[in-house]
Parts: sequence; C-alpha cells; structure tokens
Amino acid sequence: MKQFLPFFLLLGLALGPGCQKQSEQSDSAGGKKLTIALMPKSKGNAYFISCKAGADEAVKEVGADLIFDGPTEPDPAKQNEIVENWITLGVDVIAVACENKEGISTALKKAKAKGIKIVTFDSDANPDARDFFVNQATPEGIAEALMDEAARLTGEEGEFAIITASLTAANMNEWRKHIEARLHEKYPKMKLVDTKPCDDLKDKAQTEATNLLSANPNLKLIMAICSPAVPGAAEAVKQAGKTGAVKVIGLGLPSENRKYVHEGVTQSVILWKTTDLGYLTIKVAADLAGGKLKPGDTVYHAGRLGDLEVKGDSIILGKPFIFNNENIDQFDF
Amino acid sequence: MSSPLKHWKAALFRHETILLAVLLAEWFYFDSVGRRFGTLDNTFDILRHSSEIGLLALVMTPIMLTGGIDLSVGSLLGLCAILFGKLWRDAHFSPGLAAACTLGIGAIAGGLNAGLITRLRLPPLIVTLGTYSLFRGLAEAITHGVDTFTDFPASFLALGQERLGGLPTQAWFFFAVAIAIWLLVHRTTFGRALRAIGYAPEGARYAGLPVERRLASAYILAGVVAALAAIIYTARLGQAKADAGTGYELFAITAVVLGGTSIFGGAGTVHGTLLGVATIAVLSNGLVHARQPREVAGMLTGALLLFALASGEISKRLAKFRARRHAPNPAVPVPAPHSQ
Repeated sequence: MKQFLPFFLLLGLALGPGCQKQSEQSDSAGGKKLTIALMPKSKGNAYFISCKAGADEAVKEVGADLIFDGPTEPDPAKQNEIVENWITLGVDVIAVACENKEGISTALKKAKAKGIKIVTFDSDANPDARDFFVNQATPEGIAEALMDEAARLTGEEGEFAIITASLTAANMNEWRKHIEARLHEKYPKMKLVDTKPCDDLKDKAQTEATNLLSANPNLKLIMAICSPAVPGAAEAVKQAGKTGAVKVIGLGLPSENRKYVHEGVTQSVILWKTTDLGYLTIKVAADLAGGKLKPGDTVYHAGRLGDLEVKGDSIILGKPFIFNNENIDQFDF
Repeated sequence: MSSPLKHWKAALFRHETILLAVLLAEWFYFDSVGRRFGTLDNTFDILRHSSEIGLLALVMTPIMLTGGIDLSVGSLLGLCAILFGKLWRDAHFSPGLAAACTLGIGAIAGGLNAGLITRLRLPPLIVTLGTYSLFRGLAEAITHGVDTFTDFPASFLALGQERLGGLPTQAWFFFAVAIAIWLLVHRTTFGRALRAIGYAPEGARYAGLPVERRLASAYILAGVVAALAAIIYTARLGQAKADAGTGYELFAITAVVLGGTSIFGGAGTVHGTLLGVATIAVLSNGLVHARQPREVAGMLTGALLLFALASGEISKRLAKFRARRHAPNPAVPVPAPHSQ
C-alpha cells in the first residue's frame, strides 16, 4: 500500500486544486489591458528576434501586454502546446509564424472557438484557423523588386542569370514567372540566359555561379533567389576576379551578405524590414481585438506604416526593402 | 530508536519522497503566481501534453531496470505516426484498423531491437542508436521529408483533443498503461526478473532466469507503446509528419532518471518515473503561467535532475555515516531490534 502513496498524492494534487478553481470567472475582458501573445517559428532565430523589436515598439503604442515565446527545441508539437497554454492563460490575441501549417491549425481553431483572435504572420496557417494573415510580401512584389533592381544596376541592358533553389520549388517558380513577366514587359534589352538550381546549398550555388561565369562571358548580373545562393554567387564572382564587373543581387538576410556588400561584390540584398513585420503584426492584432479591423476591410491604417492594402484576409506589408552598402549596417538579422 | 520511526525516516529520505516534495513545491509556487495555473483546464493541458513522453518514459523504465536503454523510441514514434497516416490515407484503412496495424508495426520494430540485443548480444546503446537513425530515416524516406498526413476524421481526433468521462481521452490510455506497467514491474516475477538482470545479468542467468526472453519482451513492449504514443500524438496534433517525436527519447530518459531509476539497472520504480514525468511537465507548463521564458525550462530540468540525484546520494551517505556511528564496533554485532 505504501508504494501507492505517491500515486494518490499525485492524483489528489492534480485534481484537488483544479476542482476549487474551476468556477473562477474569466476576467480578461472588461477594461483590462490587452494581452497579445506572439510566437516565432523558433525562438533563437535572428530573423524573429528583429521581428520582436518591431513588436515591442507597437506594443508600447497600443498599450498592450506582449508575451513572446516559441519553441526552443526541434519538436513540431511545441507550437501547439504553447498555443494551448495561451488558451488556458486567457490571452486576447495570438499571433503565430507557423512552422507546421496543418498541425498548428488544430490548436488555432481551438483558440478561435474560445473567442481568441488569431493572426498569422510570416507563414500562414489554414485560412479557416485564423482571422488575418500579415503577408510580408506578395510574389509579384518580390519579383518586381528583384527585376527592377537588376535593371537599375545593369542600365536596363545585357545578359543576366538566375540561381534558384530547385526547379520544382513552388514559391520560387512563382517568383520566376513574375520576374520573366516583368522582364518582357519593361526591359526588352535585357536577356535571361540561364536558370540554375543549387539545391538550397551555398557550395552548389558557388559551383553553378562559376560555371555560369565561364559559359557566359558577357554576363552582367547574377540574381540569386534563394538565400544560400546569394553569398554562394558572391564568392564565385569574387574568386573569378570579376568583382564589380558582374553584379550580384538576391533574396537573403543582410547578416549573411554584409561582408560581400562591403567588398562591393554584392550590390543589393532584397528582403522586407523584419521590424516592420513585427510592428504590423502587433498593430493588426490590437486593432482586430479592438474592432477597428474587420473582415471585408480593403484598407488598413497601420500606424507609422501608413495605409496598407488588405487583400481578402491578408494584409500586405508593402514593397520589399533593398539593403545595400549605405544601410546594411543598420540591420542585425 | 523505535522501528516505525526508522521506517518513516527511511521513507522521508527516499528518492520518490524528495521528488514529490519538489513537485508539490512547484505546484504551489506556480499556483500562487499563475492565475490560471491550478485550473482543471490547465491540469488537463499538462496531462495531454505529457501523455506521449509519459508513455515512452513508462516503457523505458523496465528497460532501464535491466541496465539497458532504448534510444529509438522517439524515432519509432515518428515512423509509426507516418505509417499510421499512410495506412489511413493511402491504403484507405479505417482509423481503428490503421491503429491496430500500427501497434503491430511497433511490435515488429521493438522486436528488431530485441533480436539484435538478445540474439547477437550487441549492447542496447549501440543497437538502439542504430535504429534511432534507421527509424527516423525510414520515416523521412517514405514521406520524402515533406509529405504530411492530415484531415483525419473528427472521431479519431477526439482521441487527442476531446474529453471522455471527464478526462482527456488519451489520459485513460496513459493511466491504463501506467497501472499495467506498475503491476508488471512491482507485482510480478517478470518485474523481479528484470531487476535481477539489471543487478547482475550473469547471476540471473545462473539462477535459471530466461534472461533473453525477458529482455526481448521489454524491448517489444517499448515498440508497442511507442506506436500507441504515435497514434495519440497524431490525434493531438491532427497531423503526422516524419519529424514527429524528435528528441522524445531524451525527455523520456530524463524523466526515468529523475524518477530515481539507476542507469546501471537493478533499482528503480514506476511511480518514481511518473513523478519524474509530472515534475518536468508541471515545470514546463508552469513557466508559461509564471510568464517566464521557455528556455528556462531546459535549464531548470537539468538543475532539478542533478539536485534530485545529488540529494539521493547525500542522504544515502548520511544514513551510512550515522549507521557507522551507532555501531562503533562492527565486529561485535548489535543485537537486532525486535521488529517487523
């Protein structure tokens, strides 16, 4: 019998206090400070840490409490558990960058059923699991920013090549489609000579870029549309001694490319301002809870970001941002 | 010193008692700082979130009692989750039938560990390190790392998300397995055999115990329960993907060791494991309610583990020291007090 003692104690422990408190009223409403819970895909990621800087700024503006938490271990169930903890905690709005679209949607739907407002940012959940998606950039926006920057750097004429992650990646194919559309529409003197996959690997990107350089002596620019390919292509151009003669641009993190940008190998890195993404997410969360943002709105006034377009249930952050030698040191992600 | 008092003192310094005190301290602390911590809803959250790791820790206990270890349970959870998804979606099995087949697959996978360990006499650490990679690799190969199984029927999802008879559905499975394994380990000759093997494998063999058969059963049981955990996990998340259960083997081992089971085998209890699971689960959940950052949980779990192990060892040494002082001349045995 003695061995059972901890068992019973544990059971009593688990159920005892629960029974007393079950009837406690939910007092999160009624003039209390708004609580917004924000979850990154993973907590240590520099990208999301810079999102949080923007979120902190917005929280001060709207006068809400911010809970920032996310997985620290590679367990796909963790995001769900955190959301479920937040439901019990009684937060007002949950904003998530989803790691597992399907998995997290289960937990978000549960939160939504309890009257908690749901915003997704960076990467979306299933549409029925959230109220709004804060979209950092549309495929058109990314493609046009890349193509326009390429045209500006080459004086709107000459040959260029693209390095992508794989020829089957859906999002990148979408971007390539819009890049080519922009090219045909606006820059008739420019020519896309080749598109090479790099399997999302920096080494392979470097090899492919070296091959592109030797096969196309008139190449004026390499456009890398997956993030490992930007430093990869830059290294190839540098080693070929073509710094400045062949320009490099791409989609990537400023931190990974800072060195090459300072050396003049890479001219521009294109991404969105992550602080703005965090800022906008919190603004949307607060206004959704306050009733200032409703389904069906087409324009949303987002504080210092001005009026932004609302497409259905997505709020578009706006044009991507171009990081270059002048401004890249201001960003640490 | 009267014997009941001695008895109580011994109980007071037992590992499980210390752990229970830690658990109570955690509970009352979090209950005082977290407004919703002590609610029934949150208690159920804790139960739901710790069911899968709890199941793995429960079956890890008999294995560790034999002095073995099973590093493959987390990977097997992942493999079983996607095979369950595949049987249901691609082979059009009903969730019930798919679950039954998954349990069978778990038994086969556990059997593979068991065969390599008992037939080829390979060390469990090496064998399960191999199957740890093998099972995860298979799961990734089958799904190419991207295929995700989802849109399960609501009747199946209820297993992980709804309540049945007042408790979260999966809690019934968890408690059933807990009671079964408790009885197995503490009330059967099977359990005694496991401990004997862990204490001295050769001795157990000389005593005529079927060492291989007992060992094999423990690993096969782990496979079956890992499959059960996979099914519950899939129902809780509404998704089966190749990365399910990543790192769970270490959480399970941590809970077992925290619960007082010796990694050298021979000593340990199932209720200790349950306390270990509860201590870690309450800590991880409570920190959210105390609005503390999540990364603190890992640090505190580690500190707790070291504290529990050290305090157990210190109290043992204290007892030894005292016993020596009370019996200054061991050559002349003190007449045994009339007891029991």
